[in-house]
Formats: sequence, C-alpha cells, structure tokens
Amino acid sequence: MALVEVEDLRVSYENPVLLGVSFEVEEGETAVLFGLNGAGKTTTVQTIAGLLKPDAGKIRLGGTDIAGRPPSKLVPMGVALVPEGRRVFPALSVANNLRLGAWVRRANGSEVDERRELVFEYFPRLSERVDQAAGTLSGGEQQMLAIGRALMSKPKLLLIDEASLGLSPALAKTVFQVVKRINDDGVTVIIVEQNVGVLPYADRVLIMEKGTLIFSGVGDEIQDANLRESYLGKAEE
Amino acid sequence: MDRLRERQGQVITAAVITLLVLVLLATGEKESLVIGVITGSAYGFLALGLVLIYKSSGVFNFAQGEFGTVAVYTLYLLHFDVPYGFALLGALGVAVLMGVVVERLVVRPLFDAPRVTLLVATAGVALLSIAVQIWFGEATARPVGRALPTLDRFTVLGVQISDQRLLLLGALAILAGLLAWFFNKTNLGLAILGSSQEPTATELMGISVKRLSTIVWALAALLGGLAGVLAVPETGGFAPGVLTVAFLIPAFTAAVLGGMTSLPGAFLGGVIVGVVEAVATSAPIFEDIPGSPGTLLVFVVLLIVLVARPQGLLGKAG
Ligand SMILES: Nc1ncnc2c1ncn2[C@@H]1O[C@H](COP(=O)(O)OP(=O)(O)O)[C@@H](O)[C@H]1O
Ligand SMILES: [Mg+2]
Repeated sequence: MALVEVEDLRVSYENPVLLGVSFEVEEGETAVLFGLNGAGKTTTVQTIAGLLKPDAGKIRLGGTDIAGRPPSKLVPMGVALVPEGRRVFPALSVANNLRLGAWVRRANGSEVDERRELVFEYFPRLSERVDQAAGTLSGGEQQMLAIGRALMSKPKLLLIDEASLGLSPALAKTVFQVVKRINDDGVTVIIVEQNVGVLPYADRVLIMEKGTLIFSGVGDEIQDANLRESYLGKAEE
Repeated sequence: MDRLRERQGQVITAAVITLLVLVLLATGEKESLVIGVITGSAYGFLALGLVLIYKSSGVFNFAQGEFGTVAVYTLYLLHFDVPYGFALLGALGVAVLMGVVVERLVVRPLFDAPRVTLLVATAGVALLSIAVQIWFGEATARPVGRALPTLDRFTVLGVQISDQRLLLLGALAILAGLLAWFFNKTNLGLAILGSSQEPTATELMGISVKRLSTIVWALAALLGGLAGVLAVPETGGFAPGVLTVAFLIPAFTAAVLGGMTSLPGAFLGGVIVGVVEAVATSAPIFEDIPGSPGTLLVFVVLLIVLVARPQGLLGKAG
C-alpha cells in the first residue's frame, strides 16, 4: 500500500515552482529524490512536511489528505523532515536538541527515553557528546544529530534533505548505512540527494527537473546503467 | 575556537565583576553595592525581556519599559484596597495581559511586515501607554509603598541592610534561579531558546512558533513588570512612563553587554550597569561632575562596549 501519494502538487513562491508533481511511495520503501539544483526537491519535501502550503494538489498519508496542514499537526501524525543545512539548535546541547525533537511525545517520559536510547544506538558518537553544544559539533555529527532529532518524534515517514552535502564520501556512506537501518526498522524514507552513492540503498528512484517529475522507477529499472547515463550523468559532481 | 571565545567572555565578565567588588569594598562603597545589585537586577529583568523579544520577533521593543510602568501603576492603585502581596500579583497579571494584548493586536498583524515597521509600532505602544497614564493620572509623581514598611536594619558582612532590601535580595536570587531553571530544564523554556536560534527547525519539531511568540511577549511583560515592582518602590515614587524614562537605556546597555543574544549575559549586564550607576551617583570622586554622573557613566559603558566588544561579554562574535 502506498504510504505517501502526491497528486498534481503545485507550489509557488513569487513564481510557480512545482508545476504539478505526482508520485507514490510504498510503505517501508526508501525513495531517493534526485535532481539538479533548483529542480524543486526542497520545495517538494518542505510542502509534504507542512512548511509550505500548496496552491493545488493532494498529499495523502495513509489515505488521508494532509496537504496544507502545519507541522504541529503533521509531526504527531508521523511526518518528520531533516531540513537542508541540518538546522540544529547551535547553542543547545545535544541532549536538549534531542529533547526538543521529542516535543510531540513529551507527555510520555519513558517513550522519550526509549527513543533517545534508539538514537544513540544508531549514532553512538552522539552519546559521547550529550552535553556538547550542537554548534560545536563537526558537520557529520550535526547531520547525525539532525537525523536523530527527527527520529525522536517517532516518525512513520522520514524526509531527509541533502544528507550528504558537505560530508566526506566515507562519512556520507556511514550516514546512508544508518538511514538504511532506520528504514529496515520500519520507517519509510524519502531522501533528497545529488550523490549517486545513495543508489545501492534505494528501493525507488524519483527524478525531478524544473518543477516536474521526469522519472519514477523501482527494481530493475533503477539498476539499469542507462539510468545513470540518461538522467543522472548531470547530477554527478 | 568557538569555545575559547566563549571562555574569553566569561573571563572578562569575571574580571569586571571582581574589579567592581574590590573597588567598592576598598572605597567603602558597600551601600552602593546593595543598591546597585537591586536596581541592576531590575535592569537585568528588563534586559532579559528585550533580548527575548529581539530574538523572537527581531525588534528592539521600545514598549518594554511600559510593561513595568503599567505594573507599578496597578500596584499603586491596588495597594490601597488589598494586601500588598495580592496587589503585587495583580500588578504582574496586568503586565502579562498587556504583553499578550500587544502581541495579538500589534505584533501578529505585522508578522510579515518589515521589522522597522514593527519597531516603530512598539514605540507607538510606549507613547500610547504614557499618554494614557498622563490622561488618567495627570503628570504628577506619586508615592508607592514598599512590601515591608518597617525599617529594621541588619548588618550583613559590614553592610547595613533594611529588611525591605533583604527581602528584595532574597526574591531576586530566587527569581534568577527560577529563570535559569525555566530556560535550561523545561520543555517550554528550551522551545523558546530553540525558536530564537532556529525558527524553522523549531516549527519542524511540531512546535507552533506563532503560539510561542505570544508566550514570549507574555514572559517579557512579566519580566518588565517584575523590574517595575521590585525597583520603583525602592526609589519612593514614580511618574508616568517611569521605566521608559529611567530604566530603558540602562536595560539596553545591559542587553548589549550580553551581546543582545545571551540571557545570562543580559542579566549580569544589568547588575553591572546598576552597580556602576550606583557608585557613580554616590562616590565622592564623581562629585564634581555636574548633572547625574550615574547616567553619564552608563552611557560611557554603553559606548565602550559597542566599540570594543560589540558581541557583548558572553555573546558570540558574528
Ligand atoms: N524562498 C524562496 N523564495 C523564492 N524562490 C525560491 C525560494 N526557495 C526556492 N525558490 C526557487 O524555487 C526553485 C526550486 O528550489 P528548491 O526547491 O530549493 O530546489 P532544489 O532543492 O531542487 O535545489 C528554484 O528556482 C529556487 O530559486
Ligand atoms: Mg534543495
């Protein structure tokens, strides 16, 4: 069953940016959203997460239309976004960043403790730095914290915008591997990437160009070497 | 590198405070130390409100002092009829109400407007508040009672302190502790800090930043109210706009000392400004300066900080 169905999504700032985007992501999948700078990837995931209101179109989560609902409604329903540029709270400690991540679960202390243990299991490095101000962490550690913070809300759908940007290839691989584990533990993932190193972890590939979806494929279609050549050649840095 | 810079701020702050205390003890200005800490804490509370609003709404709040003046007026009106403690609570309640009303009627409609528009609007609120006070209360100074009318004196570490001041110092210590607890240990306090650092990320945690804005203005108004009811009875009387006229610049200096970003820095800055002002007012070496040397010295401190360390004592550069 499709966990996420996006149908003819249209979003604009001053000018139209998403010109009718449609795709589906099955429950339990890891979908990778590729595209050049300015294609509309960030706009897409921010609209799904409720930061932007669409002009038209539908976004269904488990069959319910959630288009236009704010994050304060969507996070409790299980939608979490790791934003572009990480956006950790720089002057707060790692522990307090995670605590704010659990805002919608704050009434249940033992659940929050469990989530924190789980995050530390995924990212042992964070557990060694609980009292450190997030702003003093390395870029890789901040990315881990941003993902961990999003996991604190116990999402069903985890959206990650440019996880590997600015990371070394080795560190990017580590992050992809943890994302794979998170996905194996039952979380549906949509990850925005420009790094084809993520391909081995993808169940589905979506490719955007100039505000429209130009490719959606699963299984053999995304193993095809032609995929790299025809669509992703340009995306490779 | 960042941590080194933070440390540097702490070292400078510790040095400034130690120097001040040593000078005061050496020159026999112990009384100034007590008065300075009390007035300075009021500056500190006002400065905390300024910093909170600056970080949440992106403006310097010209109406910050008026939250305090309105509280003092309410205290004055109520303390004839009800016990002092209830009058205090009523005064703080009215200040909080004013904060919420200003946020709803002025700040929220200007959510997407340029910040300079909102800046002018806060000045408008201050002027309106003062005009209303003059209209209803005439432009005369009024006395306002203290919590403890008796003047029993104690000697603490060689300083003569009245029980009123002892009560104040105790209340200030408790309030400072409560604030530190609120911002470090509660979800709401952390959310306010978070939204001042990364509003979008705060939203993404499922926290409504707009709703937080109301809470921030209410809290800033409470702090302004506290500044008013703590400090004004110490001075014996008040006139319309008293906190705007006498407290806003020192509080701004305190906020700048804290780099307009650091909450502990703003509060400490307030205490430093208060002590400097009290010493300048009473120390014999400043006697030859005409006018009010206290105010003058506050401006000197403000200029020195703006030129030498614009990021403030505890604030970070950039
Ligand atoms: N806040 C904004 N205001 C106006 N235009 C924007 C804004 N954010 C993005 N855009 C424009 O929308 C288009 C898509 O941007 P974005 O979704 O960030 O693309 P991507 O994430 O794929 O690089 C770009 O042309 C960009 O210039
Ligand atoms: Mg982007």
